[in-house]
Amino acid sequence: MVSEGAASDEELLKGIIGKPTGKARVVIERGAVQHFADALFSTSPIYHNPGAAREAGFADIPAPPTWAFAMEFSGGFAEMQPTDGPSGANPLGAAIGPLVAKGGLILHGEQEFIYHRPVVVGDVLVSEGSIVDAYQKESKGRTMTFIIQETKWSDDKTGEPVVTSRFNLIHRA
Amino acid sequence: MGEQKLFFEDVNVGDEAPSLSHTLTRTDLVKYAGASGDFNPMHHDEVAAQAAGQPSVFGHGMFSMGFLGSALTDYVGVGNLTRYQVRFARQTWPDEVLSTKVVVTAKREEDGRKLVDLAVTLSNADGEDKVVGEATAALPSKT
Repeated sequence: MVSEGAASDEELLKGIIGKPTGKARVVIERGAVQHFADALFSTSPIYHNPGAAREAGFADIPAPPTWAFAMEFSGGFAEMQPTDGPSGANPLGAAIGPLVAKGGLILHGEQEFIYHRPVVVGDVLVSEGSIVDAYQKESKGRTMTFIIQETKWSDDKTGEPVVTSRFNLIHRA
Repeated sequence: MGEQKLFFEDVNVGDEAPSLSHTLTRTDLVKYAGASGDFNPMHHDEVAAQAAGQPSVFGHGMFSMGFLGSALTDYVGVGNLTRYQVRFARQTWPDEVLSTKVVVTAKREEDGRKLVDLAVTLSNADGEDKVVGEATAALPSKT
């Protein structure tokens, strides 16, 4: 039973590598960025005052570096979402769902950002996500499942790359 | 505006950024949940967290990465990061004193850009690492 289950997990994981996870479009808004900077004790005037931001060479207030993870959950208004995204179930959910159903714990294992230019208030950004790796490892008698999703954000107007986010999800059985 | 600019020439391997310290409260976690949109109940609902076998609510990994990020951008300058990567080693708990450590590990030039590599850590008062990672920043030059 156990080995059969493990084999099918492996097949399922191999099958999602390279699969798209969806597209999104977000607006970077001052209020949201402000609350986020405050919640992280980012006291630099550049995060709070448009004048200070411009003086430091930004077009407007820049977002703190980890906003690139949170912005997906803020400012993604329904009417502006891309309609040409992949159809069908999100491969991340498709792979994690059956594992979670069997129990265990979901952990955010690692996070990485590659910055091409700062995200600033007023930006409209579009994302394209995909699964770049998925595999299992045995650790201390437990099966650990690793799924890595990469999300590439670019400027909606110019198409230039802005930030790439790599999200490493772990399921510990 | 009193922002002190860090120049490539002023940085040496082994230099440390000023450390930020903060005693984590449940209010911090509620504030971060609202600001980030991450409403996983493990981070704000004590009843749900204990029902799931946790001693109490615990911090969002991304809160830890974000707080460490504040220390990073205070030092290298907002907007100068080119890469920031962490591994979430341990959970954070209310009443823990979390302190940042940012150390310069290398200086190099690449494609005409002057880069510094940094080792970053967030740990508690007992020296337990919560978040461990690395970052790279492109710094302005005096020349």
